[in-house]
Amino acid sequence: MPGRRPLTAIYKSKLQPVLLGSAFALLVAISIATAFVVNRAGDDAENLNQTLQLQDRLTNVLLIMRRAESGQRGYLLTGRPDYLTDYSSAAPRIAPSIDELRQAAGDDPALKPTVDKIEVLSRPKIEEMARTVDMAQRGDTAGALALIGSDVGRNTMEEIRQTVAEAVATQRQVRIERAQISDRNNTVLLFLTIGGSLLIVAIGAVSIFLVQRNYRRAEVARQELAGTNANLERIVEFRTADLSEANEEIQRFAYIVSHDLRSPLVNIMGFTSELEALRQDIFAEVERLRAEVATLKNQADPALEADPTAQLGQDFDEAIGFIKSSIGNMDRLITAVLRLSREGRRQFHPETVNMNALVGGLIDTVSHRVTELSATLNVADLPSVETDPLAAQQIFGNLIDNALKYGRDGEKLQIDIRGRLTATHAMYDVQDNGRGIDPGDFQRVFELFRRAGKQDRPGEGIGLAHVRALVRRMGGTMGLNSEPGKGSTFTVTLPRRWVGDKRSAA
Amino acid sequence: MNSRTSERPVEIVMIEDDEGHARLIEKNIRRAGVNNPIAPFKNGTDGVNYLFGADGSGLASKGKPLLVLLDLNLPDMTGVEILGRIKSNEHMKRVPVVVLTTTDDAQEVQRCYDLGCNVYITKPVNYENFANAIRQLGLFFSVIQVPSPE
Repeated sequence: MPGRRPLTAIYKSKLQPVLLGSAFALLVAISIATAFVVNRAGDDAENLNQTLQLQDRLTNVLLIMRRAESGQRGYLLTGRPDYLTDYSSAAPRIAPSIDELRQAAGDDPALKPTVDKIEVLSRPKIEEMARTVDMAQRGDTAGALALIGSDVGRNTMEEIRQTVAEAVATQRQVRIERAQISDRNNTVLLFLTIGGSLLIVAIGAVSIFLVQRNYRRAEVARQELAGTNANLERIVEFRTADLSEANEEIQRFAYIVSHDLRSPLVNIMGFTSELEALRQDIFAEVERLRAEVATLKNQADPALEADPTAQLGQDFDEAIGFIKSSIGNMDRLITAVLRLSREGRRQFHPETVNMNALVGGLIDTVSHRVTELSATLNVADLPSVETDPLAAQQIFGNLIDNALKYGRDGEKLQIDIRGRLTATHAMYDVQDNGRGIDPGDFQRVFELFRRAGKQDRPGEGIGLAHVRALVRRMGGTMGLNSEPGKGSTFTVTLPRRWVGDKRSAA
Repeated sequence: MNSRTSERPVEIVMIEDDEGHARLIEKNIRRAGVNNPIAPFKNGTDGVNYLFGADGSGLASKGKPLLVLLDLNLPDMTGVEILGRIKSNEHMKRVPVVVLTTTDDAQEVQRCYDLGCNVYITKPVNYENFANAIRQLGLFFSVIQVPSPE
């Protein structure tokens, strides 16, 4: 597939986390800025409130003073007591109002001189008002008026008014500035929020695009993968079919060869037997002719006295004997190959096999040989396994048979059969203290028609080959550990759960 | 198998590619005292031509008392094919067919009986057994009743 990128590259795109990270960072920044500005707005409101309060206090001071002044002036001009009441209610409130102003100003360094100035200026004014009223009460209205006419009070009042007006103006200015700053901040925040949001939206869009692109690529990759898988399955199918076919061909080949080898063997055996039958006739004829010759010569010929036919007959029998025993061997081998090829085609029928019962049954069938050999046969508790019971029977029957067959001279044979489980497999050991196998022959003993060690026991070299073929077909393995003169341990490892016929893979 | 069934002695048609086998079979049949004529054929084609005639209709064998000894492994065709042809031929389907072969495959045996083979015998390699089997077959031939020609 050309242009196919590695799948991991699609899923490991570095842009995506960076984008998401920056979007998150932006959100956090916007949140912080908003919190900050909201906090600032609170401060601004507080400040505005203070400023307004300050303005209020400032005008309040001026108002009270003006009320006191107007009361004073009204009283002086009219002498009416209600003016006096106005005055006397307002005058004592001047000092507290200034105190309130000071309080409102707090520790603002810019306001302190203003407050101080108002306080300083208010004192002579209060004093002037008090004096004039006092004088008027005592009847000295003219003196009082003269005092007012001196314009001292008026000037002081004007000064206070100006100071207050300036302060109010200053406060208004401060307020406007603050409002402007606040506005600017709000505007900045607004733009920040809008900009940030737009950016987040943009990042989101890019992310969606990337995700979609990744998804599309993943989809393409998935389809490719599915295609590859299907292809792979097809390839596996083909290969498996090929292998099965090859295997079947081998089976057929084995069958045909052994079958076709048998045909000439029938002839060889048949005519050898015919020859053997003829021998009687031939030798009888020779004997008859010899006797005839002797009668004809009518004398005892020492050459004829010696019986050459006995020697000839022996040689003849020996030759026939070799031919027949060889044919017998060949027939056994061919029969074995036929049997193997037939076994190889047998269908397995897996079931949970109680190995204790199975091995116990096998041991029963060899009990007479065990007694004959005075051997000891120990079987530990064997784990059950899901397998073909007939195959298991053949496997363990062969192994036990071999153990009994290849004992060591002068050593009492001991056979131990043990089993254990791993997570996936069941393992069985068949251990003997027999003659053992040379490590160089470990492979050889599993090969067809191959045997190892002293050839003093009958056999065709088929048992272990058959055992290994069966174990492999059932998805297991065959192990061998042995030391010549010490004994052998054959280990059969079978899957605990049936995994199917591995014939094609074997 | 001769005078009791018909005027003409039953002819044994032996289709066997291995001359040695053919000889051994004949020897042992004779030893069993069967003296019927034996027509040996070394390949399927010749045997089929003899049985079915030049036109392949089987009319050639009509009215002839026959017994076929058939080997399954022939160089030019399988014995199973010949068996099938005999048993599906109108004129020959009642002819007894004895399959005598080295194959002892269960499926093959089954197939032959399915096709209508009358006796299936596996040639034993052991000559004593082989000779015995053929002799017994010969004895069987001496008592077997073949269908009368129409």
